[in-house]
Order: sequence, then C-alpha cells, then structure tokens
Amino acid sequence: MTTSNAPPAVQLEGITKRFGDVVANDEVDLTLEQGSIHALLGENGSGKTTLMSVLYGLYDQNEGTITVNGEEQTFNSPRDAMSVGVGMIHQHFQLVEPMTVLQNIILGHEPTENGLIDESVARDEIEDICSRYGFSIDEELDTQIRDLDLGDRQRVEIVKTLYRGAEILIFDEPTAVLTPQEVEGLIDLLNDLADAGHSMIFISHKLDEALTAADDITVLRDGESVGTVKAADTTEQDLARMMVGREVMFDRQSREPTSGEPVLEANEVHVRDDRDIEKVSGVDLTVRSGEILGIAGVQGNGQTELVEGCTGLRSLESGSVRFAGEDVTEMSRRQRIEEGIAYIPEDRQTEGLVQDYSLVRNALLGNQTIEPYVNDGVIDWTAVREHAEDIIEEFNVRPPNADAEAASLSGGNQQKFIVGREIGHDPDLIFASHPTRGVDIGSIEFIHNRLLELRENGLAIVVVSSKLEEIQKLSDRIAVMYEGEFIDIVDPDNVTEEQLGLLMAGQRLENEGELSEQESKGGAQA
Amino acid sequence: MSVASYTSQRRVQIGTLGLVVLIPLIAVGIETSLFTYGFLNRSLAVASPIAIAAIGGLYAEKSGVFNIGLEGFMIFGALTAAVTMFGLGGSSPGQGYIWIALVASVLVTVILSAIFAVLLIRYKADQIVAGLAVWFIGLGFAPVIATLIWGRRSSGGLSSINNVVVPGLAEIPVIGPIFFDQSPLILLTFVFVAVSWLFLYRTQYGYWIQAAGENPEALDTAGIDVNRVRYAATIFSGAMAGLAGAVLLAHLGSFNASGDTTVDGRGWLGIVAYLFGNYNPIGAALAALLFGGLDMISVQLQTLGINLSSRIVNLVPYVIVVVVLTVWGKTQMPSSVGDPYESED
Amino acid sequence: MSSADSSGARTVLDRAADRMLDAGVLERVGIAIASTTLALLIGLGIVAMSGYNPALFANQLIIGAIGSEAAMARTLRLSTLFILTGVAVAVAFRAGVFNIGVQGQFIVGGIATVMPIVWLAPLLPSGPIGGVTLIVIGTTSGIIAGGLYAALPGALKAYAGANEIITTIMLNFIAIGIVGWLVMGWFQDPNAPSTRTEQLPEYVGFPQIVFSSSSFSIIGLGITIAVVILVAIVIERTGFGYDMVTSGHQQSAATYSGVDAKRTIVATMTFSGMVAGLAGAIFVIMITGNFTNPDGISTYGFDAIAVSLLAANNPIGVIPAGLLFGGLDSAGSHIQIHSDVPAQMIDGIVGLVVLFVAAPELFRMAAARTGLGGDDR
Repeated sequence: MTTSNAPPAVQLEGITKRFGDVVANDEVDLTLEQGSIHALLGENGSGKTTLMSVLYGLYDQNEGTITVNGEEQTFNSPRDAMSVGVGMIHQHFQLVEPMTVLQNIILGHEPTENGLIDESVARDEIEDICSRYGFSIDEELDTQIRDLDLGDRQRVEIVKTLYRGAEILIFDEPTAVLTPQEVEGLIDLLNDLADAGHSMIFISHKLDEALTAADDITVLRDGESVGTVKAADTTEQDLARMMVGREVMFDRQSREPTSGEPVLEANEVHVRDDRDIEKVSGVDLTVRSGEILGIAGVQGNGQTELVEGCTGLRSLESGSVRFAGEDVTEMSRRQRIEEGIAYIPEDRQTEGLVQDYSLVRNALLGNQTIEPYVNDGVIDWTAVREHAEDIIEEFNVRPPNADAEAASLSGGNQQKFIVGREIGHDPDLIFASHPTRGVDIGSIEFIHNRLLELRENGLAIVVVSSKLEEIQKLSDRIAVMYEGEFIDIVDPDNVTEEQLGLLMAGQRLENEGELSEQESKGGAQA
Repeated sequence: MSVASYTSQRRVQIGTLGLVVLIPLIAVGIETSLFTYGFLNRSLAVASPIAIAAIGGLYAEKSGVFNIGLEGFMIFGALTAAVTMFGLGGSSPGQGYIWIALVASVLVTVILSAIFAVLLIRYKADQIVAGLAVWFIGLGFAPVIATLIWGRRSSGGLSSINNVVVPGLAEIPVIGPIFFDQSPLILLTFVFVAVSWLFLYRTQYGYWIQAAGENPEALDTAGIDVNRVRYAATIFSGAMAGLAGAVLLAHLGSFNASGDTTVDGRGWLGIVAYLFGNYNPIGAALAALLFGGLDMISVQLQTLGINLSSRIVNLVPYVIVVVVLTVWGKTQMPSSVGDPYESED
Repeated sequence: MSSADSSGARTVLDRAADRMLDAGVLERVGIAIASTTLALLIGLGIVAMSGYNPALFANQLIIGAIGSEAAMARTLRLSTLFILTGVAVAVAFRAGVFNIGVQGQFIVGGIATVMPIVWLAPLLPSGPIGGVTLIVIGTTSGIIAGGLYAALPGALKAYAGANEIITTIMLNFIAIGIVGWLVMGWFQDPNAPSTRTEQLPEYVGFPQIVFSSSSFSIIGLGITIAVVILVAIVIERTGFGYDMVTSGHQQSAATYSGVDAKRTIVATMTFSGMVAGLAGAIFVIMITGNFTNPDGISTYGFDAIAVSLLAANNPIGVIPAGLLFGGLDSAGSHIQIHSDVPAQMIDGIVGLVVLFVAAPELFRMAAARTGLGGDDR
C-alpha cells in the first residue's frame, strides 16, 4: 500500500515526554506510511496515548521531532495538528450530547451566511463525505447524540474529523466500546479510508485486531518502542512476547467442581440503569460456597447492573436475590454489607476509595457500622488505623504509610488495598468487578492468588471481567452475558476462546449440547 | 427540528403547566375585568428587567458558568443609572440622560463582571460563593454610595422614561396599547428576546456557548478557546444584569438602597425565570412575564375590592419555583456548569 | 480528565468541597487572613476615596469592636449568632449540601421560639423555674422548627432532585414573607408601638454574669461553644459524621460504602437547620425578647456562609471566624453612631471577604509569584 516516492505521512523521531519524574515516552520512533494502517500496540500504561497526544498537539514533547508529509512541524495545540491534516478520534468521544449530529460535526467549522449558520451547505458536505465512504449516519443528521449508540457516535466522530479535513487519522482504542460486529465494521471502514488515501494510526492492546486491521505494528512497552513489524510477518505469540516481555501464561489449573451450599441465588432478576433502560432482563444465577463464577461479556451488556443489583447499590425492577438462604432483595446496601456481601467495585477511583482521604480514613469505608471500628455509632479511630496497617502489611501496599492519601498510590496498590479491605469484612460472598483492570502484572498475580485462596476457604465468589484469560483462569463456571441475559453457561475446561468470543457476540453455540446444558428461550441459568 | 427537539419536551410541560395556571385565571380575569391593558403593561414593565437579567444569566450558564451574582449586578446597574441621571440632570434629568444612564450602567457592569469573570475563570473561584459575594457587595456598597451622593439611602424622585406613542396606530385595539403606546425599553426587550434566541440557536457563537457548557473538551478539540467563550458569556451576563437594573430604574424613576434595595430580589427571579423557561430565552421571557403578572395581580385584585396581602401574593413566584423544581426535578442543567476548564497543553 | 460525564450541580458541589477541604490547615489560615486583610484594605481605600479619613475609620473599627466593655459585649453577642449560624452552614457544606437557607431557618426558629413562650407563659408560674421551663420549651420548639424548615429542601433535593441552592434561597424569601405577614397580623402585639410580637416575660432570659448587658449573656456564648464542640465531635468521631463528610467528598464512594445518599441529605439539612433554629432561639431569648418584622433582621444567615468559608467549614474554625465577623459588625454599629462613614461600608467589606475566600487560587498564585508560600501544588 505504500506509495513509492511520497514521504511518509508521519515520522516521529526520538519522542520523549516526561510528566515530572515519570518518563511516559522514551525516545520513541514511529513511521506511518502513506495510505497505510498502523497499529500502536501495548498494555495499559505503556505510553500509547501519550505518544499520540504529542502527535495530536495536546502535549508538547520534551525531545524529538514530528514530521508530517516530509515537513517538520511544531504543534502547540490540536488546532495546529488539524491544520496540517492530523485528526484524532478520542476514546471518550468529544461530542456534545444534547446537540445534533450535524451540529456536532460542524462545531468550530460552521459555514455561515449573513452571520447565521447555513445548515444546507453543511448538510451537502456531510452527505458527500458519507456517500464517499459509505457511512450511514447521513440519515441521522438531526438526531441528538444522546440518542445514538456508541458505534454510531464513533462514526459521527470519524465524519467530524474528516469534515475538518483530516488526512491522517489517529484512533484512540477505537474498539474498546464496540461489539464484535461493530469492530468488524470499523475495520472495513479503516480499509476503505486507506484505499481513499488516508493514513491511520490506531491504538490498541488487542493482538488479534492489530493483526487483522493493520499493515504495520509498533509495540510500546514501559514508554519505549520495542520495535515495528509488518503484520504479515508476525504472529500473536510474537506480539504478546513483545508487549509483556515474557510468554503470557493462559494456563489454568483444572479443579474439582464444588458441591457446597448455595450462597447466592438470584431469580428472574430484572434491573434498569440510570436512564431507565432495562439492562438485565431475567437472569437466574446460583453461586455455591467454594465456587468462583465468572461473568464474561462485552462491557455494557448488563454486568454492572447485575452486580449492583445483587450488592444492593441498585434496586431490582423485579425478581429476587437470596443470600445464604435469606431473602435480601429489599435490604439496603448497608444491611447487605453487614450480612457479609463484599464488593470489589468496578471503579476504584470513584467508588472504592475516597481519593483525598488517607488510607486510614479509607479503611473505614464500608465499615461504618461494623464493630470494632464503630461501636454504637462512635468511631474508634485507633482500631481503624490498626486495620489499615494490617491491610498494608498483609497485601504489601506501597508506600507502607497509612497516612498517605489514596490518590497518591498507584492503581495496583489502590486495588490491593481495596481487596484487602473487602476481604477484611470476613464475607461469605465476594463480587469482584474487573479486579485487575489497570493493575500491574505483579499485583494481578497476587490478587488472583488471593481470590483462589478464598475459594479454597469456602467463599462464594463472582468475578466480572472483560479479560477472557482472567475469567478462564479463575472460574469454575463461566456465564456469558449478552444483552442483559446469560446467553450460556460454560465449563472453562471445555471452551475455547473462540467459542467464548462467539457467545459474547450473541451467537449461541448450536450443536454443542455438552456446552449449552440448559438453553431455554429466556437464556441460561447459572 | 434540532432546536425544536432540544426544547420541545420541556415546552410541552411548560405549556401544560402554563395552561393549568392560566386558563382559570384568564376565565376569572375576563369575567371580572381583572385583565386590563394597564395590568398587562404594568406586568410587562415588571417583567422586562427580569427577562433581560434572565437571558444574561442563561447565556453564562449555558457556557458553563453559573452566575448567581445577577442580583448584585442588577443593584450596581440600577445604582449606576440613578447616579448617572442625578449627576447629569440633578433631580429632574431629561429623557436623553436616561439613555446615557443605560449605557453607563452597561459599561460599569461590564467592568465589574470582567473582574468577576477573571476570578471565576482564571482563578477558579467557587462560582456560588463568589456570586453570593457580588450580592453582598452590592447590598453593602449601594447604601454607602447612595449616602455619599444623596446624603440618605434614597435618590428621591428622578425621571422615568416616557412611552413611545405612534399617533393613530396607538388607537388600534389590543395591539395599539401594547406596541404603539409603550415604553421603548419594553419594545427593546421584545427585540432582545428574539435576537438572543436567534443568536443562541442559529449562529456559530451560540453553538460554541452551548458546547462550552455541555462538553468543553469537544469545543476545545474543535479549536475554539473554551475560556474565551466563557469570558464572553459571563461578562455578557453581568452587563445584561446591569442593563436590567438600569431598565428597572428607568421605569421606576428612583433608587432606594435600604433593605434589599430597589432591585428587591428581581435578579433572583431572573435565575428562577431561566430555570423555569428551561434555559430557552423565549421560555425565560415568558416566565418573567408570568412573574410580572403575579407581582401586579395583588394590586389589580385590590382595585376590584379583593384584599389579599401583597406580601403573600408576592411570594407566589418563589413558591412556584419550589413546586416546579420539585415536580420536574432536575432542570436540564448543562453538564459542565461549575467546572473550571483547563486545556491540557 | 473527562469532565463531560459529570453531572452539573454535583460537580459544582464536589469541587467546592474539594477545594475547601483540600488545603492544609496553615494554608487555610493564611487564606483567611489574606482575604480579610485584602478586603479591609480595599474598604479603607474606598473610605479614603469617599473623602473620609481612613486612619480614623480604622481606629473606630477597633474601638467599636473591643474598645469598651459595652463594645466587647456587643461583639460577643453578635459573634454568638455568627458562630451558630456559621456552624449550621459548615455542617451542610461539609456534607456537600449547599444550605443557603440558614437565614430562613434562623427566622423560623426565632418565631417558633417566641410564640410558644408567649402562649404558655400565662399557664406557668413566673420566676426562675417557669423561666427555665419556658426557655427549654421555646428553644426546643425553635430547634425543631428550624430543622423541619431545612428538612423540606433536603427532602425535595433527595427525592425530587430539586436544586437546594435555589430552593433554599426561595425558602428564605418565603420565610421572611410569611413570618413578616404573621408578625404584622395574628402574632402582632396590639399594644406595642411598633410591629412586633408580644414581649417575652422578664424572667425568660439568661442571667447576666461577667457582662452587665441586657442583650448578651456569657451563658448564651457557653451554649454556643458547647454546640460547636458537639458538632465537631459528631463530624469527626461518629459513623453519621463520616457518612456525611464522605458524601460531601465523593458521593459515589459514599453510596458504595452503604450510605443512603437521600437519607443523608435530609439528615444533613435537618441537622444544619436545627443549629440555625437554635441560633434563632438564642437570638430572641438572649437579645431581642420579641420578634419583629424579619425584613429588618440582619442577614446573619447569609454572613454565616462567609463565616463558614473563612473557617474552611471546620466547626472549630468557625469560632475565630465568627468572632471576627462579630467584631466587624459591632464596629459597624459603633461607626453608625460615632462616624460619618455609612455603616453599610462594613457589609460591603464583608462581601469582599466572601469574594476573596471564594477564590483561594488568587492567593495561591500570588504566594507562588512572590515566592511566599512555596510548597504548594
């Protein structure tokens, strides 16, 4: 796809970007050929987004040069980057929800006549772009963004960037919010754009996407470039090795199925989200003591609402939840904590920790009615401090300072502190939502081992994760959630990642009776 | 479609409530000749400063800055107008001086609100507390300045603005007394409402204001300086509150700095009016008119021999606000109001 | 980094709370002193520009605040009100609830204290025992009324999403209007020369110890200090206080930890309103002995916002801040009589203090530029 004589679309040389003492990018080189698709691959925190933000003019690099179409550039703002045709499609869409698709696309570049906006000119131009690349959003130009699904919003973002004249497109984790079908559509679109002469960089941490979509792949690790390879000349295994610096172990120890008492029994659970949309549509599940149930699925298929419904953070539309034989459907969150339901929350930044509290004060979070920390409503700060120090010691939280502000800890250490605190409740049931998201490898192992230990000790555990390897490693059974239902319950020893992927995309495994034991019209029971 | 859909949902609600309130009122009004042109004109006179302040306030809030200091800026506007009139023409200033006073009020409040905007945007002051402070400062310094100038807290009688009468046309029933024998300031308020609606929903600057309050990053990445938009909107809101104070004074013809001053809560009603009008200039103006009508109704009832304490009747707008906020819960507040915005570079 | 998905009003409050609670204690004190000093300097500048002698004005300020026993008593009397109303505001702000309605709750508490005492006085024996009984009944009634009047906007916020900033401001106007209407109507003392309720009996009041002032008793101040300490203990040492403060810091974390957000809002507002109601009770029992048209009552409840902010919403910090405001206000009364400078100058200065307290960043940047404060983020 490379045009022979033209200079590369983008050439980054020796880019170094520091935030204080932290080096986010260390002398990174990257060359984007004309009309090609380049994947920027790396784990969370490897410096991908920082590098692209430098290219997009959001950050100034400390060292290194940016060359676009053969000319060296200095970008002081995204506007500068845009002026030479570099546009970015952000992971968090830069769209104004109550405004329409059309208004969003033309924002900042409005065609006007006599001071008023000339919508018909804009409409023509957008329809032109849409027909050129086969977008379907031109029928929705007057729809408000808030009424669009995420896939459509992304297309609006892309059209907006094209409308502004971008030749070089940067996509920040474009597939993170998409369903597998939408991912396919996106990859087709990228190819169409490349055929039309656009050059693209997309950020990803998913090996298969990089292999399928890209011509070239650059891998970043700890802010440094590990190398650039042709997609045609490499394999997933090679890429994985480049990303993490060692072979990734997807192994799981096969385990005996448990026969403990049911700890959690949920029946015909229906839950609505904040916008009053039904996100959980009739889920049945049972978790026994000594068992880990994994819930897999693409984000946004009702996992969050299901867990919130069971932990008492969200009331059920209908259905019931029983805990240790007792009906807890009407119990408040606080009562459920007191009963012994612990929850490692999805979002440790906003839920799990009060960021500007010390670890001591955070150790009380969730324990406000639990003795010995609080007796008859009066806090015993000495006991709370001891608790915090115990967690810090046992879970190896760094820095080992109970008076440190939670915000000053790294993600992994924050997560270890939360896990320690939640286990400290001495619960019978633990919900762990994305327990290792954004956590360093060492802490991942540690948290996994603790969860497995607790399982051995007879706790019932529900793990929600979008990382398949994590689900497969930890679970005794895997429930796959799709559009608010358990589409299937599978045995992790007898399922492949491909099969899980199909299930997550909403395709039932026909003709595989041994996997889908109880397929009924309403969905599977766990 | 777009603008309509933006507000249609609310309009239906507002319309419904409006009808529920208005139909019986109008029925009773016609029956008892409660609604006269005099009543309508007096209501318009009360409503116009509220509407002007409300539109200023909603521009600021749309852009992401909650200007809770409208009342304070109105006090400064009214005071400046009174001082200017008095300074130029003594206790019986001519009509021309009234117009100069209006301009002076806008200029003074532009300066004050520019300082306010710098504190809010550059120094990230707490918007609510700083806005309250503007009110306190107005309440404190207005009597000081009044005492310095007039030796007491009241300006005494100055001039109020004359109606513009178009001979002949003024005789047309219904339209005549409203449009052709009317205070020019009320006529200008009509124009102002229409223009501010058009500006907000039909020009690029209007789009930028909306985006600045809803998703400033989106505006930033579109290459527009968010804080410049917010400065403009905040200064505009202060200036419009100042103009509103001056319009109030031009109708009343005197300034009194005791208690809550001549402004007497109308700036707060301005905030309430745009909430009630769901951040739409036209809705805000209609809400202001409703408050104007309520304000005048006790007077009107008295002329009919119905004695209702004006004190109680004057509370009605406040009660309505509480009820409306309760029934409709959250207003569609722009999502980034109160968030200082920092571009990442 | 994404500010787009945060919900408006909440963010306003969160940020306000963050900023208020973030700064180190020293920094807070520094900002408070700098705000006050700057406001006073600007005030003096305005005095000078108005053609008065600023040195004389400054001197009058000090004499008016602490220059005599009478001035001291007046300062302490006003400080008592500022401290109580300030604590009422602080309680709510700490929990991230913007109770701007302390003035209304104060007025409702005041009238609810006066009327039961007036009605019940004929039924009880006069003298100290009757006096104490009536004080207890009246104060309880005032506290309850203040609490209920604050619980209303709390409930409206919690269960209907009505913005409490707006509703409490509206309820201030409504309280002033209705109480004013009552005092001019049903509750008016027909024999009084002015618009007011019946006077409380002689024996209903605090004994005069230390200060021989008819409108200040050290008992009132003592009760106030005790309430401050109680509030501080509730906030720092109880599960309820932790729930409240955590809600103010980070609502989502509070909900996660089992705090019922709605109930906490109502409880916080009620608590705050009870303190405001107590302020109203002390106002009538210690100071006025009756209730007048609330239009004419000073805006303690609004100034309380400044007091609380000056103290960074710390109940203990409210004591010095309240003393400062008491002193300023007391100096205002002195200046009213003994100086040509309009006494409202003081109100304007208070407004400036509030303005500067709202913008701590101003002083941080100034400190950073002049190389003073140094170690800040």
